[in-house]
Amino acid sequence: MAAYKLVLIQHGERAWNWMENRFSGWYDADLRPASHKEVKHGRQALLDAGYEFDLCFTSEQKRAIRTLWTVLDAIDQMWLPVVRTWRLNERHCGGLTDLNEAETAAKHGEAQVKIWRRSYNVPPPPMKPNHPFYSNISKDRRYADLTEDQLPSCESLKDTTASALPFWNEEIVPQIKEGKQVLIAAHGNSLRGIAKHLEGLSEEAIMELNLPTAISIVYELDKNLKPIKPMQFLGDEKTVGKAMEAVAAQGKAKK
Amino acid sequence: MSKYKLIMLRHGEGAWNKENRFCSWVDQKLNSDGLEEARNCGKQLKALNFEFDLVFTSVLNRSIHTAWLILEELGQEWVPVESSWRLNERHYGALIGLNREQMALNHGEEQVRLWRRSYNITPPPIEESHPYYHEIYNDRRYKVCDVPLDQLPRCESLKDVLERLLPYWNERIAPEVLRGKTILISAHGNSSRALLKHLEGISDEDIINITLPTGVPILLELDENLRAVGPHQFLGDQEAIQAAIKKVEDQGKVKKAKK
Repeated sequence: MAAYKLVLIQHGERAWNWMENRFSGWYDADLRPASHKEVKHGRQALLDAGYEFDLCFTSEQKRAIRTLWTVLDAIDQMWLPVVRTWRLNERHCGGLTDLNEAETAAKHGEAQVKIWRRSYNVPPPPMKPNHPFYSNISKDRRYADLTEDQLPSCESLKDTTASALPFWNEEIVPQIKEGKQVLIAAHGNSLRGIAKHLEGLSEEAIMELNLPTAISIVYELDKNLKPIKPMQFLGDEKTVGKAMEAVAAQGKAKK
Repeated sequence: MSKYKLIMLRHGEGAWNKENRFCSWVDQKLNSDGLEEARNCGKQLKALNFEFDLVFTSVLNRSIHTAWLILEELGQEWVPVESSWRLNERHYGALIGLNREQMALNHGEEQVRLWRRSYNITPPPIEESHPYYHEIYNDRRYKVCDVPLDQLPRCESLKDVLERLLPYWNERIAPEVLRGKTILISAHGNSSRALLKHLEGISDEDIINITLPTGVPILLELDENLRAVGPHQFLGDQEAIQAAIKKVEDQGKVKKAKK
């Protein structure tokens, strides 16, 4: 019997993702215009299952926040407190930010792209001050309070996880243990960091984990916050299977 | 001397605005006009380069959705948003859901005007038999307030609104203003009026004549003691704003017979 349930949702496809398959990372890419339709399955399933949340956590990036807003509107819980944190931001793609994934694969090889996207501790090259998006990201007002150590120039999944976990432990876990029903709307890699921690996954195993977009992911946890069964996806099997395939296909170069 | 700036606004239209019914604590959504008003408000604030640090709303959807749309226009979705029942619209008690024009026909325009615009006249309280009673008080959002459910209002005058709003202003909002944070308050007609009355020192008599248009950003400049240094200003096209004010004022009136 689960002591707690936790719901995670990864934002839908980014405008960049959809148009040209670019690494966005900390760039505040928007969702594609039809994203509210994409998250329809996620929010309908939550509505049908009658989830009543107490608290929401999200990143400081609009694609996660707007996904959360669409869900809250659909389940009529817009009044819930929402905590935003940079610690749930997407993994910082460093010097690869704005690069087209297919072109990068053609230039560096599919294997290198897979390593950069999917390895646990190999970061991409850092974003330097001369990068076209350096000011846009590093000098953004929302990150003004971050120390030099906190503000990344690039991240491996290990770094993203190391950034998310203190927040998970200090801010999210106490709420769950108080019996609060929590919803986290975030990004592929910050959510993978949490999944790795919850499930005790190895570094190799996390490479193989594809979280579907725009679908609710439910963990049922015991009183020590260990999952009592594998994560479940709320939605029909076809939608879930399709979404997982789409994420895995991104790294392949266009023929 | 102006030290701080504050933006507040009254959300745009919901379905009941068009039907001229007292919406109050019923959780109506914005209609398509209301959504458009919110976006225009956001565009207006973007053109003026407003950079918010914190947003306050009520717990009613229409005020929250308005805030979200404004933040989207500004690209400031990351700004923290805090919601409280203490910024809710005035509780209109037994008058909730009733049509203003019908009320004016039954009770006279003047009585309706007094109920709507006086300072301390309270409408009759909402009773359990009221069609919207359970929709309001069974809602989970009212079970997690800083007062117990049974102590939440069942009807309010504008004076009552200010009394429950002021602790929130003093304890949550004012300290942030004093820290130099740029604040947006997305609220309702009467909760905004109550706050303006307090900050501008408007008399009980004069508040009757204050009408706030929907979807228009209201700028208030405050001194170091958080007192207004001048009257509130509506930001945007002034002719359009005057038309919007008249539209709100006309809502309480009986329609003249068409020739």
